[in-house]
Formats: sequence, structure tokens, C-alpha cells
Amino acid sequence: MRAAVKSPPAPEVLEEKPDLGTPLLELKGISKQFPGVKALDDVSFAIWPGEVHMLLGENGAGKSSLMKCLCGAYQADAGEYFHKGEKVEIRTPADAKKLGIAVIFQEFSLVPYLDIAQNIFLGREFKSRVPGLLDRRRLYAEAQKVLDRIGLEVDPRTKVHTLGVAQQQMVEIAKALSQDASILVMDEPTAALSDRETERLFAVMRQLQAKGTAIVYISHRMAEVFALGDRITVLRDGKNVGRAIPGETSPDQLVRMMVGRNVDMSYPRNFRAPGEVVLELKDLSATNGIADINLVVRAGEIVGLCGLVGSGRTEVARAVFGADAVTSGEVRVFGRVKTGGPDLSAAEGIALIPESRKTEGLALIRTVSDNLAVAGLPKLFPNHLFSPGRARRSAEELIKRLRIATPSPNQSVGLLSGGNQQKVVIGKWLAAGARLFIFDEPTRGIDVGAKSEIFALIDQLVGEGAAVLMISSEQAEIVHVCDRAYVMRGRRIVGELSRSELSEENIVRMGMHDE
Amino acid sequence: MSDHALSAARPRLRLPSVPGVAIVLVALAVVFALISPNFLSTGNLSNILVQSVILLLLALPMTLIIMTEGLDLSMGAVLTLASLVLALTVVSTQSLVLGLASAVGVGLAFGFVNGWLVSALRIPPFVATLGTLGVAQGLALIVSDGQSVVGIPRFVRLVYSGETAGIPNPILIGAAFYALFHVLLYHTKFGVYIRALGGNRDALTLAGVKWQRMLIAVYMLGGAMAGFAALLMTARMNAGHPTAAIGMEFDAIAAVALGGTSFERGNGWIFGTLLGVLTVGILRNGLNLMAVPSSAQVACIGALVIFALFLDGMRSRKP
Repeated sequence: MRAAVKSPPAPEVLEEKPDLGTPLLELKGISKQFPGVKALDDVSFAIWPGEVHMLLGENGAGKSSLMKCLCGAYQADAGEYFHKGEKVEIRTPADAKKLGIAVIFQEFSLVPYLDIAQNIFLGREFKSRVPGLLDRRRLYAEAQKVLDRIGLEVDPRTKVHTLGVAQQQMVEIAKALSQDASILVMDEPTAALSDRETERLFAVMRQLQAKGTAIVYISHRMAEVFALGDRITVLRDGKNVGRAIPGETSPDQLVRMMVGRNVDMSYPRNFRAPGEVVLELKDLSATNGIADINLVVRAGEIVGLCGLVGSGRTEVARAVFGADAVTSGEVRVFGRVKTGGPDLSAAEGIALIPESRKTEGLALIRTVSDNLAVAGLPKLFPNHLFSPGRARRSAEELIKRLRIATPSPNQSVGLLSGGNQQKVVIGKWLAAGARLFIFDEPTRGIDVGAKSEIFALIDQLVGEGAAVLMISSEQAEIVHVCDRAYVMRGRRIVGELSRSELSEENIVRMGMHDE
Repeated sequence: MSDHALSAARPRLRLPSVPGVAIVLVALAVVFALISPNFLSTGNLSNILVQSVILLLLALPMTLIIMTEGLDLSMGAVLTLASLVLALTVVSTQSLVLGLASAVGVGLAFGFVNGWLVSALRIPPFVATLGTLGVAQGLALIVSDGQSVVGIPRFVRLVYSGETAGIPNPILIGAAFYALFHVLLYHTKFGVYIRALGGNRDALTLAGVKWQRMLIAVYMLGGAMAGFAALLMTARMNAGHPTAAIGMEFDAIAAVALGGTSFERGNGWIFGTLLGVLTVGILRNGLNLMAVPSSAQVACIGALVIFALFLDGMRSRKP
């Protein structure tokens, strides 16, 4: 049986030209290519003074790339920039600064062992009257002014590495505000903030708006989109897919714009009646921040774990594998409470296939045969003596079984394609006798053809009685491949979707819905 | 919850935590004072300071280099080469200024190459400076033909053995350079960028700072300081010797590590390095008084570095 779910037709692009005169900044036809992926494809975008422009899109839709082109961190391959109607170049961060563009980054651009004030004014130090020296008194006075403005009650002499995440985010905001920018770009600024800090930030934003500052705001929170936005642009797969005005659209419509795909996907999948419970998480909380996780995976099932990047999916996998310590609740594997660390997980039959297979899953310069043997050493060689012949025979068997395309077992793994590397990682755990497989983004960096082969292989695994927990940001893959799926938000599970309920829209709606 | 989050880092009474190096320094002084009655004499204490100055001149720039997540293994060899060039220059020209200029010039040239390899070619500092170490060492043997350069004029020797206002010259030189580096690290743009180079280079790039030049400048500063140290070294030994300062980078790196400067994230302080230098100085001096051979002294310094870092590690693990 082939499961092919038809995507809903993409909504019409709302292409209205607002009559507001010349935009403060306009981007036309921006494209940016990375090896193997087109991050931005002919994206156009305009902002007017005093407006908040919301930028929406799924993980990987191109929001961050667009922002980086805007601030000069990336150089666009094609496209034009217009500032107040005049053509300008943005090739470096200095160019962007000259145009009055300031960015609040999500991954922090702070220096840990400089203090708050030094970080805020990094690259814009105040000179003292003594040539060559800095005016420290002025530095701290100016920093205090900015901190007062955003309500951060911390001494500006505090070293940044001693601050918590929320405070670091506030410093990042202070840094951007202090530049008195005419265009302020914010990448999910509230992701790490508490309610009080968020309110304070919104108040500052309204002040800036009144002064005529244009704000580009990237968010995954629907409530913010409608509360703050004057205009909305939706990106998908690096392209503009729609523009909207908050008053004239609905969250449902925006979600459809974000996920609507016309790629016709179908992956081979044989759905079977599930067997015994293999993995059970009961009220699991762990040191990495996940809380009250309840989840069941049975033999013969592929269970999806979805949610936005940072929602806690990988953290669940790490807690199950024993890489992060459990603080309350329990992990049961094959009915027994798991207590051991990652070193025991292999013996317990658990395999973790990590997202970054090149650094965490494989030894790239070693051979296919070596990589296949490494997790299964205790099983293959119970008397602790390595036998190259035996390792090769086991490798050849796996190469045949998984149809790994390699000229020989002695080929370096680094020379194989992404799909075949992923097969080697899977094979490594098969050799170790794993029966519970946790995949973290199994198709990242793998081309379309190889993807369906990987899924065929995963289907084969569950057909042989294995249980699979699959983390993926590709909602379409979850929808096509999984028996069931759990959706995470804020390091908790917020819902479970049965096979019949599984759709990209339901996943996105659950993952970003505000309480 | 937000109240708590915002008030957590409000200024509060800060008790200065005593760094591991200070404990080690005091402990060593006490032990040597008990073992050797000579140790606490004014003459010997002054001796320790004087003998520590050459190491201080290397350890100061080494601190900055390490703070950029870098390393300079070539310092000892560059010092040796600079010392020979200086000796040859003063012997033939009888000019201290020309001699010092040539030594600092050699240092700056090597520093530039180090910085360029690390910054422009992105060669890991360990490998880049290991390469220039070999080059400098080889050149030292070539220019000296494997022989010591003798006949150093008296005015050069006075730089090390003379006194100004009753204080030995090396102590004055060391104090001046310490003050200079303190101002450089804490009161100039350069100092701010050094922390950022080690802590978050992307932050500098996004701030529009051309940090590549800064990184080269840090290594050039290290080279120049090796040149100044060469003057003291030549004056002290009354000769240029082709193996004079071999392995001195080990003492310098040890002093910086002892002082608590981290090899990651731009975390370092210049006072810690001073304490580290004095600790190494006291250890060498005390072991000399006890007639311990210098090869065993190196082993002791190594053990001491591990012990001081162990103390710091123990403390930082506590919440």
C-alpha cells in the first residue's frame, strides 16, 4: 500500500500594493544559494516607516537567511536593495549599519567575558580625551540609559556570561536599540523572555513605531502576529508565498500559506497492527528542561515527534538515550526502567541516529566496514578479540541487506553520498542488535531520491519488529510516514495526532498555537 | 518568576574568591622559607623579582594571545634569535638603540608572520607557531654559526645589572610593561576586541570591526615583547647564545595557565599572569636554593600548573 496524502491547494498570493509612498527599504528579487539548497529564491520585501512587518514561515523557509542578507552577514547572489527609493548595496555589516539597520539576533552575538556595557557598544566605543584610551564613565552612563529604557535592572558592569538566557536576550535588544536604527530587525525576540519582559519589549516597540522606526519581526507566535503586525509576509521554501494585512486574514489562512506545498510526495509504507510496548515515557522531566513527557512507542510503529526547532524534541531523545539526566518520572524500555547512561543504551537495544551524522554518527575517514562494526563490537566479538575477517563478513551482509552503494567495505565513509552515509549509521545499530531506533532529522541533507530509500529502510525495520521514534522538522514526512505523532511546544508535549488526524496544518497549528 | 529573573544579577556583596594561583604562591613561599633560611632575605626576594622579569615580558603578551584562543610556541626561539641579532649588532655598531631596534624588528617580523598565518590563512595557532619556532631556531644557529656571540659592551650589561634610584633596572622595566599591558587590556579598544576575538568573533564581524588586523597585531605585540626580552637576556648572559631561551615559551604558557587565564572564550586577567610568573619564579628560585637540577624544575612547574588548574576546577564545580 502506498500512502499518498494530497496537500491542499496553495492559497492565492495576496498581491496588493499599499499606497504609502516610497518604502523606507525595499528588497527586490533576492536570491541566495548554498551548496545543495536554494535558501532564497527571488524574494521581494518592503517596509515603510513606523510599521511592524511580520515575517512568517516554517523552519527552513528562509526567514533567517533573508534577515542575514538584510544585515550584511550574507551577501545575496542576486537582487537589488532600495533605500528611500535609491539603489544601494548591502555587502557587509558596515553597509547595513550605514543605512540604519540594526538586528536583534536569536543566536546571541554577545561576548561572554565582556560586561553588559562593553557588549552593547562593541565596535562603537567611546574615546576618552586621552588619545588611545576609552571613556569608561561615559560607557557605563550611556549603557545605564539604554538599560533603563528596556527596564533591565542589572548593573551594566556585570559580565555577560553570568547572565541567564532571558537577560542575555534583553542585552541583545539593548544593543540593537542603542544604535538608534531606523530599521530594526527582530528574530523571535520573545522566545526566551518572560511575560513581564515581553510586555516591556512591546512597549518599547510602540515608542519606536511612533518615532517612525520600521520593525521587521520574525515570530512563531500567532498571537504576536495579530497583536503587533501591520503587515505580514509569508515565506515558504525560500520563496514569497503571500502577503497579508492582519485585519484581513486569519491564523488558519496563514498556516495554510506556510505549509501549502505542491510537491507530490509519496513514500512506501506498510502500516501494520502495532505489537508490544517498546518505549514508554511516564511524566518524564529531565535536566535539559523537558517536563511531564508522556509517550508510548510500540513494536512495528513509526511515531513522529514534531514541533518547532527548540521545542524540546532532541532533548526527549537525549533523555531516553541517557545523555541527559532524568529528574522525575521514568523511561521504560522493553518494560524495564532504564537507568544507565548512553554507554549502556546500545546493550539495551536502543539506537540514537543523530541529526549531525557527520560529527556524531560516523567516523568519516574510516571505512564502511569499521563504521558498521563500531557499535556492535561487544556483540560481534564476545571474547574481546577483534577479527578483521569477521568484521568484513558482517559488513558485507549489512551492505547487501541495506543496499548501501559502496565500491567495497573498505571505502572511506566520507566519500559516500548522504543517503548511503545514513544507511551506514542505521546498519551500525542493526549490527549492535538495536530494536528501538530514535531518528533525529533522518533526511537532513539527503536528496529526494535517497529519502524514499531511507524511508523504505525504516519501514523494513519496523516490519521486522523494531519500534521507531522519528524527530523531523519536515512535517510532510511525518504526515506521510508515521503511524502517530506527538507535537511539542515549550519543552512539553501539547498533543497527539492519530493517523487520521495527521496533517501538516494540524501539526503547525498545535506547534505554534498560543494558550 | 520574571521578578526573580531580573533581580538575580543585581549588584550584591562580592567576596573576592581567592584564585588557585595565589594559594599555590603563598604555600610555596612558606615551604621554601621553612626549608631554606636564605629564602626570605631581602637580597633573595629582590633576586626572585629580577629573575622573573624576562618571563613576565613573554607571559604578558602570551596572556593576550591565549585570550584570543591562540597560542605562540615560537616565543622562546624568537627571543633567542633576537638576542643573537642584538648581540651581533651592538658588538659591531656599539649602539644600544640600533641593537634594541634590530631585536624588536626580528620579533615584529616573526609576530607578523604568525599573525598572518593564523588570521589570513586560518592555520591553527599551534601548528603555525610551531613552524615559525623551527624557522627561528634554525636561523639562530645559522647567524651564530652555533657559537656564542661575546664582547657585549658594558652599557648593555647595565640594563640588567644596573640600578635606578636604588631599584634594580629589570624590576622597573617589568613594572612599566605590566602597567602598559594593564592599560592596554582594560582601557583601550584593543583590549575589548581581544576578549571578543576569543569570546565571539562573529560579534565583531557583525559590529563591522575588521578583526583580522587586530589578530595580527596581537601576535606582533608578542614578537616585539620577545625583542625587548632579548635585550634583558643578552645583558644578563653577557653574550648571545644560540640556545639561550629554548623552551622558554613553556614557562610563559605555564605562568599564564597558572594565573587562571582560560584557553577558551576570551576569559583572562593580567594580574593572574603576574601571580603566575612570580609562582614560577619562586619555584625556580627555591629549587635552585635546594640545588635541584633544572630538568627536574621543569617537571615541577608542569605538576604545579596541573595542581593550580585542579584547584580552580574544584572551585568552579561548586554551585
